[in-house]
Amino acid sequence: MTDSGQMIYLDYAASTPVDAWVVEAMTALMTADGNYSNPSSTHAAGRRSVEYIAHAAGQLASLLHTTEDTLVWTSGATESDNLAVLGAAHYRQERGQHLISMRTEHKAVTDPFSELEKRGFEVTWLDPNANGLLDIETLRAALREDTQLVSIMHVNNETGVIQDIQSIGELCRGNGTLFHVDAAQSCGKLPIDLAALPVDLMSVTAHKMYGPKGIGALYIADRKGVHVEPLMFGGGQQRKLRPGTLPAQQIVGFGAAAAIAQSRINDDVGHLTALRDRMWAGIRDIPGVTVNGDIGSAFPGILNVSVEDIEGESLLLALEPLCVATGSACNSKSQEPSYVLRALGRSDALAQSAIRFSFGRPTTAADVDVAIDLYRNGVDKLRRLAPGRAA
Amino acid sequence: MSPDPYSAKVRALFAAPEHGGALENALCTAVEDQGVRISLFATVEEGIVTGLRFRAWGCPHVIAAAEAFCAESEGCAASELLEFSVSGLMQSLTVPVEKSGRILVLEDAVRSLGSIVRGASKH
Repeated sequence: MTDSGQMIYLDYAASTPVDAWVVEAMTALMTADGNYSNPSSTHAAGRRSVEYIAHAAGQLASLLHTTEDTLVWTSGATESDNLAVLGAAHYRQERGQHLISMRTEHKAVTDPFSELEKRGFEVTWLDPNANGLLDIETLRAALREDTQLVSIMHVNNETGVIQDIQSIGELCRGNGTLFHVDAAQSCGKLPIDLAALPVDLMSVTAHKMYGPKGIGALYIADRKGVHVEPLMFGGGQQRKLRPGTLPAQQIVGFGAAAAIAQSRINDDVGHLTALRDRMWAGIRDIPGVTVNGDIGSAFPGILNVSVEDIEGESLLLALEPLCVATGSACNSKSQEPSYVLRALGRSDALAQSAIRFSFGRPTTAADVDVAIDLYRNGVDKLRRLAPGRAA
Repeated sequence: MSPDPYSAKVRALFAAPEHGGALENALCTAVEDQGVRISLFATVEEGIVTGLRFRAWGCPHVIAAAEAFCAESEGCAASELLEFSVSGLMQSLTVPVEKSGRILVLEDAVRSLGSIVRGASKH
């Protein structure tokens, strides 16, 4: 704990607090005096729930510059990714079974692709450059006539690197290949214009943009040949693509979070940029410290740094009461170095020392200053404790 | 769910390792294995360990175990170093079983130190 006994949360890439206005909007659909009815019911209360859901869909659609009917509600980005990857691959398997993704994708994408490999599909795994970006020529060389799906994330969850989804999408479209984007880290944080971007499928989630956990969406472009096969059956909701009773309060929360994000997205980016730059300026002179990714073209809410000759787990404990991540939250229990950083060419030791600082709306400059002090002191302490290498 | 991976004792020892560092004119050893590096320094007078220090590169359990060993072993007979086992520390620090290999590096280092001390006493 700090002198004031408070935790400092710098793990907003893992999850964000729910905005107070979002909580209020959700609560109105949960209590006895609210509108808690099943939106599949045909009575007046059910129809009222449908109206709430339609309004929320409009809010999310507005944020993404698309139309409500292109959105399918899911339980979150992991389900959206699975529905997109498995659903699109199976829908188009008669045309071909070649798929492309990157080694630095989130497990929610790499695992469905690995599953498809087991089912007989062929997957080409692309390596990033040392800065984490995909070289468009690497993708061009990998595309084939029978390539049915390319999945590349917008903002990397570990490094914050932003992929050029405009260029990637144009290349895919020219090849007749569907393009899926995991936008879990960018939706509501960076401007996304689906009316202009050549993207066919996009996964988004609420809980990384100050909405509730348990709700996400998959964008499915209203374009010929763009479709997914469902993963679940029963009930027929959402055009049978994702059946099940719609959680109206979650959806309304997502919609409210989208509306808030849209109203302040540029201010948020400015705030995060100032915090990220302050953090890096405070630690960049530490010998052996290096940024994982490309700070010049990364999402400013994430700063991932490694430092030479420091054991990552000890550094993480030395940083308490900071709440930060060593890798993606889904991977953080593993002792293994981050596969994302290994794909960037980092050594095991350097990857293992990586700390991801991620900033959010509530983060203050004072929080960052404490983080700088803790990081500097932690590195200094562990270096003083460390022996030289045995001969 | 992520329960706290560290016991209160590990947290305390890691936070304030009073025996971290080196001793001048001390007998010393260095062991590197399992991704862990440990150096131990000891001063011995008339067969008694009068001072112990450590340097360690490893996870918090390794650092806590090294600190606990030094704190508990100052004043012991030097001959005991040769018989040192980490089993007691594993238990008292609640070290997870998957980290046994790393903590055993400390056992190797202590026994190596014991051998050096015995060799020095023969001269």
